[in-house]
Amino acid sequence: MKNKVKLSAAARREENWGWFMVAPTIIGLLVLNIWPFIQTIYTSFCEHLGFGHYRFLGLANYVKMFGNAEFWKATWNTIFFCILTVPVGVALALLVAILLNAKVKFKGGFRTLFFLPLVCAPAAVAMVWRWIFNGEYGVLNQILGANIQWITDPKTAVIAVAIVSVWSSVGYDAVLLLAGLQNIPKTLYEANSIDGAGKIRQFFTITLPMVSPTMFSVLIMRLMASMKVYDLIYMMADETNPALTDMQSLMYLFYRSSFVAGERGYGSAIVVWTVGLILLVTLIQFWGQKKWVTYDI
Amino acid sequence: MKKIPRMIAAALMLALLLSTAGCGSSDGKTHLTFQIWDVAQRDGMQAMCDAYTAQVDPNVVIEVQVTNWNEYWTKLEAAAESNTMPDIYWMHTDQILYYADFGILADLTDLYAGEEDNYYANHFSDISISNASGTDGRIYGIPKDKDNVLLVYNKEMFDTAGVAYPTSEWTWDDLTDASAKVYAATGKYGYMAYNDEQLGYWNFVYQKGGYILDPETNLHAGYTQPATRDAIRYYVDLQKNEWCPDQNYFAETSPGTAFFSGMGAMFLEGSWNLLNEMKNYPDMVGKWDIAMLPRCPDPASGDGRGSISNGLCYSTAAKGKNLETVKEVLKFFGSEEGQRIQGESGAAIPAYLGLEDTWSKSFGDFDYMLDLDQCYGQFDYAIQYINNASRRKWKSNVADEMVKVYNGSDLDSSLARMQELADYYVTE
Repeated sequence: MKNKVKLSAAARREENWGWFMVAPTIIGLLVLNIWPFIQTIYTSFCEHLGFGHYRFLGLANYVKMFGNAEFWKATWNTIFFCILTVPVGVALALLVAILLNAKVKFKGGFRTLFFLPLVCAPAAVAMVWRWIFNGEYGVLNQILGANIQWITDPKTAVIAVAIVSVWSSVGYDAVLLLAGLQNIPKTLYEANSIDGAGKIRQFFTITLPMVSPTMFSVLIMRLMASMKVYDLIYMMADETNPALTDMQSLMYLFYRSSFVAGERGYGSAIVVWTVGLILLVTLIQFWGQKKWVTYDI
Repeated sequence: MKKIPRMIAAALMLALLLSTAGCGSSDGKTHLTFQIWDVAQRDGMQAMCDAYTAQVDPNVVIEVQVTNWNEYWTKLEAAAESNTMPDIYWMHTDQILYYADFGILADLTDLYAGEEDNYYANHFSDISISNASGTDGRIYGIPKDKDNVLLVYNKEMFDTAGVAYPTSEWTWDDLTDASAKVYAATGKYGYMAYNDEQLGYWNFVYQKGGYILDPETNLHAGYTQPATRDAIRYYVDLQKNEWCPDQNYFAETSPGTAFFSGMGAMFLEGSWNLLNEMKNYPDMVGKWDIAMLPRCPDPASGDGRGSISNGLCYSTAAKGKNLETVKEVLKFFGSEEGQRIQGESGAAIPAYLGLEDTWSKSFGDFDYMLDLDQCYGQFDYAIQYINNASRRKWKSNVADEMVKVYNGSDLDSSLARMQELADYYVTE
C-alpha cells in the first residue's frame, strides 16, 4: 500500500491503463473459465431436474461414482491411455524435432508433413483411421497379413486410439521442441566436439539438458490433453462397439452421463474427479522437474 | 488533436451498436426461425414455409436453420434454459416427454378448436398423436411425418442364388433360409442382424408378442417377459450363423455400408433413409428393393407382424415471443396443404392420413421405382416407437447391457439387469 501512495499521477494513469489492457483476458477467464468451474463443483453436489434446475443432494453423486465399477474402469482406461501416449509421443516428437533440425533436403516439406495432422479436422482423422484399422477391409491388416480386430477387440482398442492420438500430436510437439533445439547456441556443440565428444554424448550432455525446459512444457501439455481425451474415442467407437467399456475415458463417461443420460450432477462429479487427478499429476511433475529440468547452464 | 482517436472509437462503437440493432425486422414483416436437424429436408421445409408466406400471410417470413443431430439437443436445451428458443422446431419422440413434462412446449391441443372438432383424431393416426403427446396426454406438437422399418434386399444376389424375392407373407424361417442360400451361392452375407433397437430387436420382440414397455401403462419394462426374452435370444443368436457377420464387424462397418457395397443381401432399414440411399448410391439403383418385415411364425400372441413406427412433430415454446403468429403457422404445417408440400418434396411421409403416397413423387426421378406400397401397407402393423418419461435416463444403460449380451454374457441375467434399470424410475 505504501508504494501506491507514492505513485505520481502519470504512474497511476499507467497502472490503470495496465488494468484496462488485461481486462478483456481477465474478464474472459473469469466468465468463461473460473465461474463455470465453480458452478461445476456446485453442480456435482446436485441432481439435475431438467433445463437448468438443480436440487442439492450432498455427496450422493460421489458415493454413486466411487461405488461404480464402470467409473473405476474409465479411470484406469484414462491412466493407461496416458501411459501409452505420453512417453512414446514425447520421445517420438523429440526424435522428429532432432531430425528436422539436422541438415536434410526438403526440410520445409518434411516440417509441413509432420505438422499436417494438426491442420486436419479431428473428425476426418478419426474416420480415415477407422477405415485403416477396419478388421475386415482395413489396409493395415492387409499390409500385416493379419486379422486383428483393432477397434473392437478389448485388448487392442486402446492401443489403436493411442496410435491415432500419437500420430496427430507428434507434429505439434515436434515444432515446439524444434524451437527449443534452435535456441541452443552452436558454440556449445563446437566446444564439445573440440573436447572430443561423440554425437551420442553430445545429445545427452548438451541437447537433452538444453531442451529440457521445452520438453517439460510439452510433457505437461501432452499429459493434460491425454487425461482429457474424448473426441477420438467418440469418433472411433460407436455405442454398440463391444470394446467400448474397455476404451471409454473419464471424459467420455462424463459426456455420456451429462449429455446422453442428462445426469449433469453425476457428470460434474466425474469432471471434478478428473480435474483433481490432473492437478495431482501436474503437481508431481512440477515437483519432479527439479531432478531433470535445467534452466541455466 | 487528442480527441480524434476518441471520436473514431466512439464512431466505431456506434456502428457496432447499430449493427446489432439491425437484427430487428426493418421491412415491417415478422421474421420467424425454424430449427431442424436434417439437411436433406431443408428444401422441403423451406418450400412449406414459403407456401405459408405466399398463400396465408405475406407478412410472415420463415427461415429454416439446420443444426446437426448431435448438437441440436444440447443447443435446444440451452436455449430453453435462457428462453431464447427458435420460434418453431422439430421435436423427437426421445425428447418430447422431457420438454413437454417440464412445461417448455406450448400446448397445442386446442389449436384447431374453432375449425374442426377432433381435427387430430380425424387426420392423424393414434401413433402419430401419441408421439406428439406429453405424459399428461395433451398434444405438444403438430404431427409432422411417420416412418416404419422395412426389409431391404439385394435383387441380384437373390437372382444368383435362385431364391424368390421376399414377400409380405415371409416368416422368420424364410428369412434365415434365404440367408443361408444366398451365402452358399454367392459367399456374401445374408440378413445382417446387428445390435440396434429400432432397426433391430424391437421389431422382433413385438412380432413375437412380447413388449419392451407394457402397453397398458407404458411404465413397466418387459425385458424378462418370456416372449420378449425368446425374441431377443433369437435375434442375438442370428449372429451365430455363418451367413451373418458378428458384432465386431458391425462396430466398424454399418449394415447399410455393407449392403450398398455389395457385401450382404439384406438388412433392416428405416423408411426415412430410402430416398437418400437412392441418391447416394446411383450404381445400386435398380439392384435393390424393399419388403415388409417378415412375421414371426409362432407368436406368443398376435398375428406375428409388426414394424416400429416413429414420427416427428413441430413444436414451439410455451413462452415464445411470437406465440400467436407461430400458432397460425403451425396450423398450416398440420393442414392438408402443408403436409402435401412436405410429402411431395420427398422430405418424409406425411403424418396426415391419406397423403402417404405423395411421398412417392420424388422417387419418380429415378430409373427404378421402389415398391413403396410395402412401406405404406406396413402402417397397418405399426408399433409405436418405445418411449416413456424416464427412458432418457435408462436408455444408454440398457444399451450397454445389450453390448454385454453380444459379448457373450448370460442373456437371462442381462435381461434381469435391463429390467431393473428400466424399472428403477417407476414410482407408484
